[in-house]
Amino acid sequence: MIYFFDGTKNGFLCALTEAFHDDAAVLVTSQVQLALGESPVLVSTDDEKAKKAENRLLSFDKDCMYDLDTLFRSGMENHLQIAFDYFRLLAKMKKPIGKRLAEPAVFAAVECMKKVGHEIHKMHGFIRFMETESGALYAPFAPDNDICDRLVPHFRARLPEFPFVIHDTARKKAAVYDGKNTFVAPLDGAQVLLSANEAEWQSLWKRYYQSVTIPARTSKERNKQMKGYMPVRYWKFLTEKQENPTNFDEIT
Amino acid sequence: MITEEKLKILTDSAKYDVSCSSSGSGRKNTGGMGNGYVAGCCHSFTPDGRCISLLKIVLSNDCIYDCKYCPNRLSADVPRATATPEEICELTIDFYKRNYIEGLFLSSAVHKNPDYTMERLLLVVKKLRTEYRFHGYIHLKGIPRADERLMQEAARYADRMSYNVELPSEKSLKLLAPQKSKESLLTPMQKLAVQSAAFKEEKRKGLIKGHFLPAGQTTQMIVGASPEPDGQILRLTQALYRKNGLKRVYYSSYVPVVRDALLPETSGGQLREHRLYQADWLLRFYGFSVEEIVNEGENLSMEFDPKCAWALRNMHLFPVEINRAPLEVLLRVPGIGAKNAYKIIEARKYTKLSFEDLVKMRVALKRAKHFITCNGKFFGAKSENAVRGLLVAAETQESAEQLDLFGMLSTPQNALIALTGQL
Ligand code: SF4
Repeated sequence: MIYFFDGTKNGFLCALTEAFHDDAAVLVTSQVQLALGESPVLVSTDDEKAKKAENRLLSFDKDCMYDLDTLFRSGMENHLQIAFDYFRLLAKMKKPIGKRLAEPAVFAAVECMKKVGHEIHKMHGFIRFMETESGALYAPFAPDNDICDRLVPHFRARLPEFPFVIHDTARKKAAVYDGKNTFVAPLDGAQVLLSANEAEWQSLWKRYYQSVTIPARTSKERNKQMKGYMPVRYWKFLTEKQENPTNFDEIT
Repeated sequence: MITEEKLKILTDSAKYDVSCSSSGSGRKNTGGMGNGYVAGCCHSFTPDGRCISLLKIVLSNDCIYDCKYCPNRLSADVPRATATPEEICELTIDFYKRNYIEGLFLSSAVHKNPDYTMERLLLVVKKLRTEYRFHGYIHLKGIPRADERLMQEAARYADRMSYNVELPSEKSLKLLAPQKSKESLLTPMQKLAVQSAAFKEEKRKGLIKGHFLPAGQTTQMIVGASPEPDGQILRLTQALYRKNGLKRVYYSSYVPVVRDALLPETSGGQLREHRLYQADWLLRFYGFSVEEIVNEGENLSMEFDPKCAWALRNMHLFPVEINRAPLEVLLRVPGIGAKNAYKIIEARKYTKLSFEDLVKMRVALKRAKHFITCNGKFFGAKSENAVRGLLVAAETQESAEQLDLFGMLSTPQNALIALTGQL
C-alpha cells in the first residue's frame, strides 16, 4: 500500500502507526504515478496521535528521535522509506536496534545517518566565511543534506564573539547566530557587503593553497584522491578553488 | 598584512613537513577566538591528495646551517624572507576566522642562532595565546640546541611540539646534516616527555593550571635520502613510541629538490612511504611489534601490505572463526580493519554471522575470505599459492583505496581522523 503524508515529523509518526502491519508499505510525500487499481492511503496528521507514537518509540530507544531528525535531514531520495523501515523494526523489536547491522533496515538507516554525520564533519572544515563590512561572517554553501543549523554549535563554540550566517543556498534557508541566539530563517538572495580587506585575505589564502601543493607528488591518482575527500560539487564555495574573488551574483 | 611574495617564500619552505594533523587538543574557548577539535579537522585538500588543516609556515628561511637535502641551506641561492611575529599572528587569526585553517604549524630555519630563533618562535605563540586570545591549534617545531628554558616555556603555549629526527641514523645525520646530531634532536624530546609527565601529575594534584603540550610530540624522518632499510627505521619508530611516548612518527619520502653528490637523484617512492605508514598503523593500533613485521636489515614487501605479508608467513594461525575470534585476532586478519572488527563484534552478539551477513555489512572480504571461516565454512582459495596469487591481484586493484583500508582505527577519534584523510 502507498501512504501519503505531509512530510512533517508528526505526519511521519502517524503514517508509522497506520502502516504498522503493512509489510509492503511505501511512504511518499508527493504525487507519484500509481499503478492501475492502487488506492493510496492519505495519512492525516494528528498531533496527539503522533505524540503517543513518539513516547512509545522513546520508551524503546531513548535516542531514537535524534536519529529520526537525522534521517529527515538526509538528501537521499529514499530517506523517508529508510526511516520508516527502521522505525517499524524498532517498534516491533521494542528495544534499541542500532547495532544489529546484519538487519538490512538497520544497515540502511545507519548508513544514511552516517552520510549526514560525515557531511556535517566535512563542513566543519569546508565552510568558508567571508568577513562583511559590519564584522559579521557570512558563509554560503549547498550541502547534500539539510544541515545548516547542525553546524552552528561548532562555530559558535569557537567564534563566540562573531555573529555569523550559514546560508544553504539550495534550500534557501540560513542558520543565524547573532552573537547571543541561534535561529533558522528562510533566506533567498543575500546582499552582502564585504569588508575592505576581505578580497586580500582571500587572495592570500589562494596563494597559500598554491604554494603548499608539491608538484612532484601530484598525479592523476592523487588528484582523484583529492576529489574523493573534497568532492567537486563543493568547490563552488571553496575560496581556494575559485578563479576570481567571490562574486555574489553567481552564488545567490 | 603580510605580502603575497613573503607568504610564498615562507610557506614554500614549510611544506615538506608532512604533519598537518590538528588532533589531540581539547583546548576550550575561554573568550577570544578558537578551540581545539579533538578529532582534528581538514579544511581543504591539495591536488597531491593531502589534507590542509594548519597554516604551515616558517618564521624565517634564512638559515645558518647547511643540511645537504634542504633547499634553504646556507649555501643555497634562494630568496630569503623573515616574518615579524605580528605578521604571523595576524595571518593565523584572519585565516582562522574565515575557517580556512584549524590553527598554526610554525617552524623556522635557524636564523642568526638557535636561541634567537627559539625566542622569536616563543614570542609568536605567546602573543597568539595572550594578546590575541587565540585557542586554536598550535604546532611548534623546536629548534635543536636552543636553551632548554625557551623550549619549556613554549610547551606551555603550544598544543604539540616536534623535533624532527630527519634521518634514521647518526651516520646519515653526520653526512647530510652536519650541524645536527642524534643527541641534539632526541634530548629535547626526552626532556619534554619527562616534563610533560611531571606537569600532568602536578595538574592532577591541583598544584598547577594551564596546558603542557596537550597533543604531545611528533617527529618526522626523511625516507630514501640515506640507505637505512625499513627494518631499522621501524625499530627507531617503535623505540620513539615506547620510550619517548611520541604521538606520531611521520615519514616523508625524499623529494630531490637539491642536487648533491651525496644525495640520490630520484625520489624515495611513494609506495615505500605508504608501506611504512601501514606498518606504523600496525605498531600503534593493531598490537603488532616491529619484530613481527620486518627483520632489522630488510625492507618491507612491496608486493603485499605488511599485515598480509605477516599473515602469509603465519598461515598456521588461520583461518579464524569470525563468530568466536577475539578482537585482537580479528584485527590481525588481512583486510579487516579496526572499524570492521568492531562491527563484527557488535553484530555477532545478536546473530551467528554468515558470509552473506558480512557481505551485507559491507565488510571487505576480498582478502579476508582466505583467512576466516563463518560458522565453520571456508570461502577462500584452497591452496596457499592460490591465496598469494589472489592477494596480489587484490592489492593492485585496490591500490587506490589502500589508504582507506588501513585508515580504520581503534578509537572514535582516530576513526574520524582516518575518515577525513589526515595523515
Ligand atoms: S636547519 Fe637544516 S633543514 Fe632546517 S632550514 Fe636550516 S638547512 Fe634547512
